[in-house]
Amino acid sequence: MDRFRNEPYLLINLILAGVVILIFIYSGIFSPENNDYPVVCVHEKLTGKQCASCGLSHSFSLIVRGEISEAYNWNVYGLRVFIFFAAQLLMRIIFSIFYLKYPETNNHLITYDIAVSVMLFLVCFMPFIETLVSQFHLVYHKGYGFQNPLIIHTSSACL
Amino acid sequence: MEDFTSSTGQTSGQPPVSTTKQPTGQNLGVAALITAIVTFVLAVIPCVGLIAIIPGIIAIVLASVGLSQASRNDAPRGLLIAGLIIAAVATMISFSQIFVAGRISDKFKNKWGNDFENVINDVQENVLNELEDANVSIKIESNGEKVEINTSVNKKNREQQLEELEETDSIRKDTLVRKK
Repeated sequence: MDRFRNEPYLLINLILAGVVILIFIYSGIFSPENNDYPVVCVHEKLTGKQCASCGLSHSFSLIVRGEISEAYNWNVYGLRVFIFFAAQLLMRIIFSIFYLKYPETNNHLITYDIAVSVMLFLVCFMPFIETLVSQFHLVYHKGYGFQNPLIIHTSSACL
Repeated sequence: MEDFTSSTGQTSGQPPVSTTKQPTGQNLGVAALITAIVTFVLAVIPCVGLIAIIPGIIAIVLASVGLSQASRNDAPRGLLIAGLIIAAVATMISFSQIFVAGRISDKFKNKWGNDFENVINDVQENVLNELEDANVSIKIESNGEKVEINTSVNKKNREQQLEELEETDSIRKDTLVRKK
């Protein structure tokens, strides 16, 4: 226990692994059948259009339950993000073991860890980053000028 | 990059010394870095990033307090600086999401407000016009007996009915007056 207190890297690994496990527990507790997820999409509420992260909780829950093809239907990027978290959980465990077993390579190990984590993050979260950049570009430079689907729907329903 | 091993007074290849005194602000640095990493991951996800500003600010506060403690005691500051930078970037991303959401809501509040009002008014007018000239037919079936009531709520018919009623009413009033 003292080792964890004195080694910030091990402590960080332990806590991050705990966070990832909590995410998996969250996905396991909330089920798509009950549809009782606490996070609501603000973008969908405002514009009536789905954003890139819509259905991510559903997707995670379905992946945890082994229904990967259905998870893909809920969110296309769900599997990517899930792989990132699963890989991070494995990396925290493996890097901690290496850190304890080979203390002479600690600094190199931390460098590799940071490099691999950043690469993995960029690969898995790239669609979200692109979405954010394009959204910001739309709002800041061009204005948010897409047609509101709700009004079209209402008008056609009236007609 | 932060030298994680040197902060504990341990050199490479040697077992850690449990009695070593922890550098000032290191616990705060660990807390700030973890909060900052979690905030960063949350901030990048659209919509979820809106709430990431709260842990982002917490991480900045933790890192700032840790930095001030560490600078007073001349302790290593690598973890704290890393935490502060990641937290600042994550908070900026989150803030940009809030800004974008605000602009979208402003845009749609103004535009949608008028559009919705127009749509509702149109619908209301259409419904009223249709109802004014509607022919209502009510069919009731009970124990083999059928009753059918047909009525027209035509605007012209109603005006005629009203006129007739007014005429009869005036005649009644007249007769009453005559009797007196």
